[in-house]
Amino acid sequence: MKRSKKMTLIQKVIKYKVLLLMCLPAIVFFFAFSYMPLPGIYVAFVKFNYGSGIFGSKFIGLKNFEFLFTSGKLFTLTRNTILYNVAFILLGNFFAVAVAILLNELRSKRFKKVSQTMMFLPYFISQVLVGILVYNILNYDSGFVNTVLTSLGLERWQPYSLANVWPPLLVLIYLWQQTGYNSIVYFAAIMGIDAETIEAARVDGANAFQKILYVILPSLKQTIVILLLFSLGGIVKGNFGLFYNIIGTNSLLYSTTDIIETFVYRATMSDFNFSTASAVGLYQSVIGFVIVMTVNFIVKKLEPDYSLF
Amino acid sequence: MKKLLAVLLVIAMMMGLTACASDQSSKDTKTGSDSSTNQTTTSPSSTDQSGKDGAIDTSEHVVITYMVTGDKPSISATDEMMAELNKILTEKVNAELQIYYIGWTDYLSNYNLTLAQMDGSVDLVGTASDWLDAWPNSKNGAFMKLSEDMLKTYAPKTWESVSADHWELCKYDGDIYLIPEDNYAQWTNHGFIYRLDWAKEAGLANGVHSWEDMTTYFRYVKQAYPDIIPWDSDGTHHSQLASGWIASHSNFVAIDGIASGALWGGTKDDLYTIITPSYTETQMMVDFANLMKEWDSIGVWKTDVLNNTASSNRDDYRIGRVAAEQHHTQTWTDLVSKTNNNTIYQTDPDAASGFFYFGEETKNVVSLSITHGAMAISAASKNPERALMVYDLLRNDPECYRLFNYGIEGRQWELNEDGLRQQPASYNKDKDEIVTNFWWGRNDDLEIKDASRDWAAIDALYAEYDKIKIDYPYGQFVPNVDNIQSQINNINEVHTNYMKQIAFGKFQGTAEQIVAEYQAALKAAGIEEVTAELQRQFDELYKK
Repeated sequence: MKRSKKMTLIQKVIKYKVLLLMCLPAIVFFFAFSYMPLPGIYVAFVKFNYGSGIFGSKFIGLKNFEFLFTSGKLFTLTRNTILYNVAFILLGNFFAVAVAILLNELRSKRFKKVSQTMMFLPYFISQVLVGILVYNILNYDSGFVNTVLTSLGLERWQPYSLANVWPPLLVLIYLWQQTGYNSIVYFAAIMGIDAETIEAARVDGANAFQKILYVILPSLKQTIVILLLFSLGGIVKGNFGLFYNIIGTNSLLYSTTDIIETFVYRATMSDFNFSTASAVGLYQSVIGFVIVMTVNFIVKKLEPDYSLF
Repeated sequence: MKKLLAVLLVIAMMMGLTACASDQSSKDTKTGSDSSTNQTTTSPSSTDQSGKDGAIDTSEHVVITYMVTGDKPSISATDEMMAELNKILTEKVNAELQIYYIGWTDYLSNYNLTLAQMDGSVDLVGTASDWLDAWPNSKNGAFMKLSEDMLKTYAPKTWESVSADHWELCKYDGDIYLIPEDNYAQWTNHGFIYRLDWAKEAGLANGVHSWEDMTTYFRYVKQAYPDIIPWDSDGTHHSQLASGWIASHSNFVAIDGIASGALWGGTKDDLYTIITPSYTETQMMVDFANLMKEWDSIGVWKTDVLNNTASSNRDDYRIGRVAAEQHHTQTWTDLVSKTNNNTIYQTDPDAASGFFYFGEETKNVVSLSITHGAMAISAASKNPERALMVYDLLRNDPECYRLFNYGIEGRQWELNEDGLRQQPASYNKDKDEIVTNFWWGRNDDLEIKDASRDWAAIDALYAEYDKIKIDYPYGQFVPNVDNIQSQINNINEVHTNYMKQIAFGKFQGTAEQIVAEYQAALKAAGIEEVTAELQRQFDELYKK
């Protein structure tokens, strides 16, 4: 320990050159796509002129952030965004873990593959198509649900005029689309659990439920915490594709479905302002940063091993 | 490790900075050299004002890209026409033209994005002050300032044909940015296109001439033709409906291009005092909300109209599956005519189309602003001079004009015995249709009237307009909205959200409540400050 402390940077680089080399693609990637564009944040503080470029444009301070705060909607928007994301993250991870465990318990290999593929497929459907699909199932005049309802002699249902039905619906759609994909990571983690531990549990007489409860879940804990921490960073970033394609510009539903992204999209479409859009992006990143740091700090206090850094 | 990270970060930031900065400086030097070449090329021609073509150096063959809104055609007819055109352009100005299409899906954002790239990939840009952000783009530096010398030298015919007054209307901050389409008669005031034969069946012997007639008409259609959706709106007509209602119930004259709703304007009696009827005329808006609620309950549009993105109402009108289309006069001139596409006239010999224009009751019609269609040059264009020369030919040279607008004579069009333009018998839309959407330099001097249009009906309506119209009075008003942009954004948002509910009768509660809510939200968004600021700029401009 003492020796390694004395090592200079160059010595370290030489010592770990192979490891560094293996890391190089990732370093280059993040360098090029995450660090290089950082100075561009400055665009959020200028009145951007195409001709003069980012650093040649006029500095106007916080003016670009103004519309976000004067709209009086910032609270609703941030609340909607965060609540939806909390539901997405918690339920999404819950179902992903559940599905991964269930898949792991399946004995028929063919059935396992088939069901995994079926659950995986929705992830590859574009959000635009999902929007159309949902419209065709739910619309009032000729939607699937309403056709069934009328043929059963029941009254038609009008979800596109009811703001309150959308939070559960959107969460449902999100889960349908993402669960199969998210479960992969957990499935892989379960595969990675030391077979001896599971074997030992079985020898000790643990049944399937006990095995899941006392062996598999505790081994997944770290993966779950890390994935949760990662997703928390994006908790103020809404899922624009999902919301825009399903809700569109139906202002009747905005009270429960408008998120920061969709609002900004509509508001800045009118004057096509890069600076305002970047200002909002910066606002979201700063909040996301604060949240990740706080949660990580708390995790570090409680379980130092599980924290990100 | 931390140190390493810090060092990396610093390097990254530095590189980012220098990368941007070097971009910047290279751009600066480029524009610098551009302007110097401008000077050197313009100075000889300014000495002999006749503008001899010989003074312009066209030795290098260049490709000019023309950016236009419209879906890229899937058939090759356009390319074949362009090949013909390019032969002429190469011969005359040693340039060829390429079309870059901005598809109709999300056209405004794609249009602005393409302009913002500033990589010299487009030269000629079709634009419009009221529907394509011409002024914001001029202000943002996307369009090139066109000096008088440049226009005189490279687009002399266009320069001559546009009057000094009209050039004045294309200026921002003293510089010309747009070349207007100012010699082309068209009307783009909005209204409802409807089936005149069905209106007569409904007891409206003279057709529809008011919103109330329209209600009668829709009610009748819904009853008599249950299979037909009276109007399959896609939920985007809220602003048109609202401004149409206001035009029909006041003498309000809206200012174009400030916000999507055209909320601000003057009145015919007092053009230069700004009012905002949707904010102040509560009773008018309540009546509107009530009528639209009635339309909604009649079933004029689909129940889920606000999510109905897949409608193709205009094409459905052509084949008789809907009973109305909400758009402008120019569209009506197409739908009223017995063209091949409009099969309603073939299947039903009684079919006829009428037009109820907004403002008909109060005789409130404003003629088109000349920058409803205009051509601009991208500020990043590498060959602005040649782009102007090409434009000058497209707009003023009969051969180029007809080729570009109508297609190849004998294939896409021919003259009939009356000297009108018609489609040859061999014409097949699926093989021969061309798409150039040249709405930024059409020229009545070179136009050949389309034989398929119902000119009797069209000329009658145009004559009616000419009797009551006033010229668009605010052409010169390009407001500086830097200080009120965030309010305008929010007002836009409020207007769109509430007007969608009001104009499609989708609100809960009473009309009074929703209008009160709408007006309170407008107030909170800062409509009064915006009105005051616009009035201040108005006074500066018009009360000098």
